Amino acid sequence: MNKASFLNHAYSALVITASLALGYGINAVFDFLPAALYGMLLLTFGLQAELVNPHKLQASVDWIIKHMGVCFVPAGVGIMEHEALIAEFGLVLTLLVILSTMTLLLVIGLLYQRQLNKQKALVDR
Amino acid sequence: MLAHPIDFIFYILLTIVTYHLFVVMQNKLKLIWLNPMMMSLLVLIPILSLNDISYQRYYQDTQIFTQLLEPAIVALGFVLYQQLHTIKGHLKGIFIILSSGISLIMLINMMMTIWLLERYDIAVSVSLKSVTTPIGLALTEQLGGIAAITAVSIIIAGIVGAIWGLPLLKRFGINDPQAQGLAIGCASHALGTATVSKLSYEHGAYSSLALVVSAVITALISPLIIPFFS
Repeated sequence: MNKASFLNHAYSALVITASLALGYGINAVFDFLPAALYGMLLLTFGLQAELVNPHKLQASVDWIIKHMGVCFVPAGVGIMEHEALIAEFGLVLTLLVILSTMTLLLVIGLLYQRQLNKQKALVDR
Repeated sequence: MLAHPIDFIFYILLTIVTYHLFVVMQNKLKLIWLNPMMMSLLVLIPILSLNDISYQRYYQDTQIFTQLLEPAIVALGFVLYQQLHTIKGHLKGIFIILSSGISLIMLINMMMTIWLLERYDIAVSVSLKSVTTPIGLALTEQLGGIAAITAVSIIIAGIVGAIWGLPLLKRFGINDPQAQGLAIGCASHALGTATVSKLSYEHGAYSSLALVVSAVITALISPLIIPFFS
């Protein structure tokens, strides 16, 4: 890693930590959204208000997105704790969750695709 | 028991190596069902069970991953920022579509679960499955659900969107990255968002947006809809 990219990563770490810390502050006062979601909105706001330099964030964010999947693994392994619940309701419950997730995906996808198609038709005319 | 540094390094490495192995395999074989997250669970759970390692012991050393999820979610703010100009004009429509979709599915979930299992507490948990974990768990407590079932359902909902989300949407002619991102962020929270963000910034932005807006909508709507069934 060269010096410039190291500095960019350090800058990103600082900005993200600061956003998250502020997110925790807001969460302590308004316990409505989790701190991480407040932090995410704050970062968007900071970039929009040109308080944060987007060019310095790019490489770090790409790296984070590429690897963030691994962060879900330990929590997911927690399924093993709930053998009893799974034995009793597992099959029906799993099917219900799968079907309703697919339905939600399709409802939102179809509604928004329809809206986009309408807008495109208007623009084309 | 004392925390052993060797255990700590072992469990962290085990998690990273397992996950990475499936990332490499998926990149090579291009099989959708080879989802690294799900495959890691299928490998790690038997490894732990067969060696009589309790989940507490494993989680004690690997909870840093769960904590790192917070800055990772914050980083999605960058993706949202990049698409802000295209999103701005659509916000009202997005809000209406997400509100109606989430309310509808919540009603269906409550009715179906109560009809099939005759358990209000399980129905509450199933109805909160599409929202991000901290909000899902807070609402579960507030509305009288079962935390463990909510947690498991949230993971399943995430995996479903991550594995089948895109092929399912494409099959129904939903080909626009904006619509795909919105649907997956709404139904499969941060796990779905992490998966589609790799495809394009447009996917990532709409998915991140849906993640936040759905969380707000669910927190507002569920106390109105769910207690109605108790």
